[in-house]
Amino acid sequence: MTEHAMRLSSKYDTETKPVAIGTAVLLVCIVFLLTISGTGVADMLGYARKIDARVPTFLLRMFFLLVALAAAFIIFTNTSTYKRKRVAYAPWMFLSVGLIFFLIYVIIPIFQSISYSLTRWNGLYDINGKWTGEWVGLENYRVLLEDPNFTTSLINNVLWLALFMLAVPIGLFIALFLNQTVAGIRFYKSLFFFPFVISQVVVGLIFSWAYNPEFGLLSEIWGWFFCEQKVNIVGNLTKVCSIDPPSILGEAKYATYAIIAAGLWPQIAYCMILYLTGLNNVSPDQIEAGRLDGAKGWKMLWHVILPQLKPATFIAVVVTVIGSLRSFDMIATMTQGGPFGSTNVLAYYMYDQAVGEGVGRYGYGSAIATVLFVIMLCFISVFLWRMYQDERTER
Amino acid sequence: MYKSLFRATAAFGTAALLATTAFASDLVVTFDDLNPDKKAAFEAAVDAFKKANPDINVTTNNGDREAHKSTIRNALLNDAPDVITWYPGNRMGPFVDAGLFRDISDLWASDENLSGNFGAIKPTMSRDGKQWGVPYSFYQWGVYYRKDIFDKLSLSEPKTWDELLAACGKMKAAGVTPFTIGTKYLWTAAGVFDYLNLRTNGYDVHNDLTAGKIKYTDPRIRATFAKWGEMLDKCSFVKNHATMSWQDAIAPFANGDAAMYVMGNFSVGQYKASGLTDAQIDFFQFPEITAGLPRAEEAPADAFFIPAKAKNVENAKKFLSFIATPKIQGDWNKAIGQLPPNSAAEVNTGDKFIVEGMATLSTAAGLAQFYDRDAPAAMAKAGMEGFQKFMLDPSTLDSVLTNLDKVQAEVYK
Repeated sequence: MTEHAMRLSSKYDTETKPVAIGTAVLLVCIVFLLTISGTGVADMLGYARKIDARVPTFLLRMFFLLVALAAAFIIFTNTSTYKRKRVAYAPWMFLSVGLIFFLIYVIIPIFQSISYSLTRWNGLYDINGKWTGEWVGLENYRVLLEDPNFTTSLINNVLWLALFMLAVPIGLFIALFLNQTVAGIRFYKSLFFFPFVISQVVVGLIFSWAYNPEFGLLSEIWGWFFCEQKVNIVGNLTKVCSIDPPSILGEAKYATYAIIAAGLWPQIAYCMILYLTGLNNVSPDQIEAGRLDGAKGWKMLWHVILPQLKPATFIAVVVTVIGSLRSFDMIATMTQGGPFGSTNVLAYYMYDQAVGEGVGRYGYGSAIATVLFVIMLCFISVFLWRMYQDERTER
Repeated sequence: MYKSLFRATAAFGTAALLATTAFASDLVVTFDDLNPDKKAAFEAAVDAFKKANPDINVTTNNGDREAHKSTIRNALLNDAPDVITWYPGNRMGPFVDAGLFRDISDLWASDENLSGNFGAIKPTMSRDGKQWGVPYSFYQWGVYYRKDIFDKLSLSEPKTWDELLAACGKMKAAGVTPFTIGTKYLWTAAGVFDYLNLRTNGYDVHNDLTAGKIKYTDPRIRATFAKWGEMLDKCSFVKNHATMSWQDAIAPFANGDAAMYVMGNFSVGQYKASGLTDAQIDFFQFPEITAGLPRAEEAPADAFFIPAKAKNVENAKKFLSFIATPKIQGDWNKAIGQLPPNSAAEVNTGDKFIVEGMATLSTAAGLAQFYDRDAPAAMAKAGMEGFQKFMLDPSTLDSVLTNLDKVQAEVYK
């Protein structure tokens, strides 16, 4: 063996010292994590009851877990297997952190949720930590089919999906309108973008006040035409209307549309900003060429500009579809699903049945969540497939 | 250096030892009301307990009432205090059934004050023939009305259904909406339903309904809804009630546009805050519907329970006995403007609503807890949505009732 070859092979050898130390540390950590229970440590430290008993144990556990992970990392990077195939392993090591969290917070809960959907469970464990639910098979799904609230939620979800799509063309036209060089255009742009910046909860509140039939903006305007001030029996002023202002959020036939309108406001701003950035990348050469060929107005938009905005359109559609399916905050702030459940959508109804107001139908709520998941999966797989196709053609 | 360190450790050790002997035992109490008056009354009771039991080291936690409804699940399982607040009636059912509350029947039996002075509320605190908690406060429901409007229309407090309908007719003729209500958060409608059902069918039928033994399509329950239909027709409620909370609904009441409000006594403070005086508002018991039926009332109670995982059970029992004493019950409820469940406790005779409330509840044939506490939460949610739907459109009655039967079959399995 030449000296070079020897150096090369030793380069790939397992470094015994760091591996030994790492293994020792790892063992200590594992013993600690396995043997010492939460309350034990808390009592030992005398913290129990004085501050939340979970905090010190949690921190200690996290500390030992991190040390264990670091030790495992050191052991692994010093083994010969890793050294020989560094290029193959390295990306996975970087990915692993994200993957572990994705597994814990997304993948496992999805399967847990699906399994709960086959049970009747009120969310409680008994005194011994035993699960109190019972297995009912597909019973929850059978009940779902007969539940008028579920049907309403499903119809409302379709309405949301269809009407929310309006955000894409409206956003496009606002973007086209704002895509010009006038003094102070940045200011106007920021005004249009503003609704996207404020919280959904605030948007919901503002709209529910505007809709309020007693003191809202719309009822004030209505009052100019149909109402007058009169003195009531105890001498106070009161509003008497020849035709009452519509109670927009109080009537089943208007309420969902009213909430969607409120939801559209920030969504249009979002689509607009996507298109504005897209318009920055539209090539002036092609517009010039189109102009020379005599294209203008709609033709120019349809045949020259829109094709170049395809990536922006794709993203706008994706965020709008997902935004409409997970519409929750607006409903929670504006109607809580009411009146009598007529503005529920799947996401809100699931929350309402499982955790809201202690209703505690966890199994039933999980069944609703599963249905929503399946619907979302259809859209998401189409989107992913499209993205995959695009990437493949680009290569 | 080492010596001083050693000395410090030794001193610390003895101090710790002394501390543990001086405070031989602990007591952790979890409360769920951050409203200033409620919080102060609770703290006053705890201070009195500390004074009476200097050897017990009391720790209190207090949190938001709504948040407590979900955090209690975790608290009972993982980090149980020794005493915790919760609602009696069926609302305690899931926790009792899962074995998360401790049976305190022995305390009820051995404590003379508890066994002697809590007769009216005892059934509410019982499940499976055992007692699970000790109530510290409750309050009456009924009809709050604008006395000045009644006087202007020369109306007196209606005692029967017909008198009520007649009074409503007069109010409507004078341009006054008889009832105000805000059903955005649903439960207010349940108050009206409870009273209509208690007056039409009585306590036992109402109890059987909320216990899932009677269907919603039962003719007796239909009779209740028929009365409600009559009420909607002849005693209308304010328009737009579906977009109002119970506080919002006070506005037309305070402005004199509406004259009556089916509510709990906790609302009195809000009437006064919106400018009404004692002379302008008054209270009457919900009128009789079926003649001769024993009068049952709505009286939601708040209570303390001992979690099964409590560490200091003896101290917890001491605390429950203590807060049940007439003195503490009287002081506590005077401070928060409610009624003491202990019949030997003093009430605030300067408050006419409290006096009327005591008269109403002490003579009642039965006490209901309120629909959303008597019925399981899942049933209550669907039921109250149904009530709201019916109020907005009485023609939906049949679909509402058949749907409630379906939910009932599902929930009470």
